[in-house]
Amino acid sequence: MARRSPTDEVDSFLPLPTAVFHILVALADRDRHGYSIMQDVDARTGGKVRLSPGTLYTAIRRMLEQGVIEELHDSPDPESADERRRYYRLTRLGRDVAVAEARRFSELLGHARATRLIPRKLQ
Amino acid sequence: MRGPAVYRALLWCYPAEFRHEYGSQMEGAFAEELRDARARDGRLAQAAIWVRALTDLPSTALREHWHVIRQDLRHAGRLLVASPGFTSVAVLSLALGIGANTAIFSLLNSLLMNRLPVRNPHELVMLTNPGSRGVGRGMQQGERSLATYEEFRQLQENGGFASLMAASSSLQRADARVGGDESEPLAVRLVSTSYFTTLGVPAAVGRTFEARREPSAGDTPVAVVSHEFWQRRFAGRADVVGRPIAFRGGIVTIVGVAPASFLGETVGERPDVWVPLAMQAAVLPGRDWLHDEPGSVEKLMWLHVFGRLAPGATHESAQASANVTFQQGLAAYYGSIGDAAIRARYRDQRLTVRDAATGASALRTAFSEPLWVLLGAAGLVLLIACANLGNLLLARTTARGHEMAVRLALGAGRTRLVRQLLAESACLAVAGGLAGLVLARTLRDGLLYLVADPTITLPSALDLRTLAFVLALTLVVGLVLGLLPALRITGARPAIGLREGRGVAGSAAWLGVGKLVVIGQLALSLPLLVGAGLLVRTLMNLERIDLGYSSENLVTVRLDADTAGYDSQRQMAAFEALATRLRAVPGVRAATYSYNGLFGGIDNGDRLTVEGYRSTDGTTAASRYDAVAPGYFSTLGIPVLIGREITDQDQTSRRMVCVVNESFARRFFKGRNPLGLHVTTHYAEMSRTYEVVGVVRDSRQASLRDQVETRFYTSMARSAAREDGRVTGATFIIRQQGDGPVLAEARRVIQRIEPNMPIMGASALSDAVGRRMVQDRLLAQLSIAFGVIAVVLAALGLYGVLSYGIARRTTEIGIRKALGAQHATLMAMIARETGWLVLAGFAVGGALSVAAVRLISSRLYGVSPGDPVTFAAAVAALAGVAAMATWLPARRTTRVDALVAIRYD
Repeated sequence: MARRSPTDEVDSFLPLPTAVFHILVALADRDRHGYSIMQDVDARTGGKVRLSPGTLYTAIRRMLEQGVIEELHDSPDPESADERRRYYRLTRLGRDVAVAEARRFSELLGHARATRLIPRKLQ
Repeated sequence: MRGPAVYRALLWCYPAEFRHEYGSQMEGAFAEELRDARARDGRLAQAAIWVRALTDLPSTALREHWHVIRQDLRHAGRLLVASPGFTSVAVLSLALGIGANTAIFSLLNSLLMNRLPVRNPHELVMLTNPGSRGVGRGMQQGERSLATYEEFRQLQENGGFASLMAASSSLQRADARVGGDESEPLAVRLVSTSYFTTLGVPAAVGRTFEARREPSAGDTPVAVVSHEFWQRRFAGRADVVGRPIAFRGGIVTIVGVAPASFLGETVGERPDVWVPLAMQAAVLPGRDWLHDEPGSVEKLMWLHVFGRLAPGATHESAQASANVTFQQGLAAYYGSIGDAAIRARYRDQRLTVRDAATGASALRTAFSEPLWVLLGAAGLVLLIACANLGNLLLARTTARGHEMAVRLALGAGRTRLVRQLLAESACLAVAGGLAGLVLARTLRDGLLYLVADPTITLPSALDLRTLAFVLALTLVVGLVLGLLPALRITGARPAIGLREGRGVAGSAAWLGVGKLVVIGQLALSLPLLVGAGLLVRTLMNLERIDLGYSSENLVTVRLDADTAGYDSQRQMAAFEALATRLRAVPGVRAATYSYNGLFGGIDNGDRLTVEGYRSTDGTTAASRYDAVAPGYFSTLGIPVLIGREITDQDQTSRRMVCVVNESFARRFFKGRNPLGLHVTTHYAEMSRTYEVVGVVRDSRQASLRDQVETRFYTSMARSAAREDGRVTGATFIIRQQGDGPVLAEARRVIQRIEPNMPIMGASALSDAVGRRMVQDRLLAQLSIAFGVIAVVLAALGLYGVLSYGIARRTTEIGIRKALGAQHATLMAMIARETGWLVLAGFAVGGALSVAAVRLISSRLYGVSPGDPVTFAAAVAALAGVAAMATWLPARRTTRVDALVAIRYD
């Protein structure tokens, strides 16, 4: 069986479930713990996407197995008093997958603009 | 603080592993969410958080559980693939066990449970007996089995049913030319024109019959062919409509083709063509089955009657209404009988309305009991096979005891381990079930082949009910296989598992359970062996039955003597001429003829008065009878005990004589010399008196199992059957030298000399008698097969447990040998321990056998259910196999090297 190229590997994740994409985006700028991811997604989407703990952690479990995120052994915030929090970081693969999904959305937008379904600048 | 506590409780919906990993994080995140919402937006926001948590709980929890199950199944699959030997033996054993059970169940399903492929089969009822078939001439007291054509017409007029139809209760074989081709035998079902509309079966091509009240031959020369016949003879072409079928007595035109799924109203029979009742004379010329003879009290009963209840009617009301009409018909028909007592007896008949969703079937009565017995036996074999596999799985999981102990010590939940073990057994069970389903088809065909009747056609095997049966069986097997080892291993204490080196966690306990299982297997095998032994002896007894004459090299040919329309004298002359001509055929040693024939399914009986006999128990005297040719008894080799047999003079003499059998003389003459005494037969108002001229040895001509009945024999020309002395048929019985092609030559001779007397059937007597033993042969062959399989499986189980036990005691055996124990002593020690196992198995098995043989006692012949010889033989066979299974592993003790054994600990 031929080895899969890195592109094929990334493409095999697409299209991403909504929750997974938002978790990847939340981890793109910094490492976060679970509740922080929930807050970031809520704030960034203006409350349109709200992750419950069940959705979040089942997605995290799957994403850890797939290797798109990883758990940190030490807290990135040395000042934090709460050692129970577990922090997660985007892996290289995870970053590539998120970018590929964003590119896919961009292509979809391009198709919609080409037929003037939507204006060049969407309000 | 209540909120997070409630949420913590909800987390129990998730799998344990997931809960341990992420539970505290989820609880913490939920608590923070609630806190922030309370501070920011108040109660409404908190409520929204609860709603969100509750609505996504079911889907996320299920997803996690499914993830765990998939992991378990993948892991189980890898483990099974890694041990191909074990896996293939396990799957094969299960496939055979499940396949055999499914095959037998599917036959039972087809015979007993399958509904007819008609519109709303649950609404169908029958007014005749579903198990009856054939043509009966005479009268029948009590519940009526079959109806006459006139009775059906009267019931149709009755109006008590929404619709009513009639169908001949047996298929008629009639020669016909189809579309101008060569003559070929067709299987014809004669039916009323309301047949297809009552059943609610539309045509696949063309149309079916139009239901009419008063059909006549002139306007119903039509036919509907079966789908299979259409495919076979017309290659499925649409131009089949309008093609002719030329029977000997008339031509019918094909108007339609029945659907592929429709084989008729009788299970197990497959007609080629359906023809209206009014065309009976065309299909079977020379016979009139539509009209009873005026003045005769004989009725010709040959039809099944099916119907659909009128709206609002119940079985009871329909039955009452039908019986009113029926009784009116009987009153009119038997009104001419002068004697009031006789008239009342003849009118003592009634119809019973029954459910008919499963149609009519003579096979049902013949085969349902044997099939249930075989299903029970097959179930036992499957149980024994599961016990073996359970033991094997137990051994495997015990061998992994160290691994399990480590995982338990590291915090793995017992539930998770049990789930993994159950996944393994589920994989085995499903693989076995699927393979069993595939095998079932072949095994079912094999069963039908054993029955060896090519005319039996049953609809396709795999329906929802059979699939459900397989699924249920597979689930039970999977659970039985997996639960015991799973509970066993996870019940063991991890510390023991971690500590033990060569011995494994719970291995002593496993051995204990393993021994119990082996006792169970031996206990289940014994009833199977005993049952098989009894059934085989039954078959042997039946095959050795003394018929009263030698059945070697005997062939019979049945002729229809009605069609030719000869009078009595011409009939007798024709029979004599045929007998003379047949005796001259090369290879024929002797030839004779009789009315009933031998084992041809024909018999006659009458009420009678015997001179000097008075019944002591109030029952009316009655006896079977036959009409025979001159020299019949000497030809067959039935000894004449006193007096003489029927001679040529008796054919023409005015003196009416008869010969009686031993049973008749014993019953009615009790110690008196019967010669010269008289027997008078009574049929309605007709009586005939015969003088007894001889007594012959008892012989069998109709049944194998029942006690030989009283029988008297008259000359063919003076038959008690009809007033004018004519007979409707005759069977020629030919004894040949050796086994040359006498039958074929005999048929040619008869067809050449008497083409007006069609041959209705011809076969060797051994075949006819053999057909009576089909169920017994089936039971004997299969029960032996099941018995052998069960014993082999039990022996394998015993061997496995003993092997393991000895392997486990290698150190002990090594020490004993080092201390000077001899091989013989060691083997005796093992034999002693095994002996207790086997004895326990026999004790339980013996009790089970005594109970089990009661279930088959009605099928036994010539051997009692508690026959000690059979029991002893079964015990001896099982003991022999157990001894072999013990000796092989015990021999291994001789190879144990004392030093090596002690060193390894």
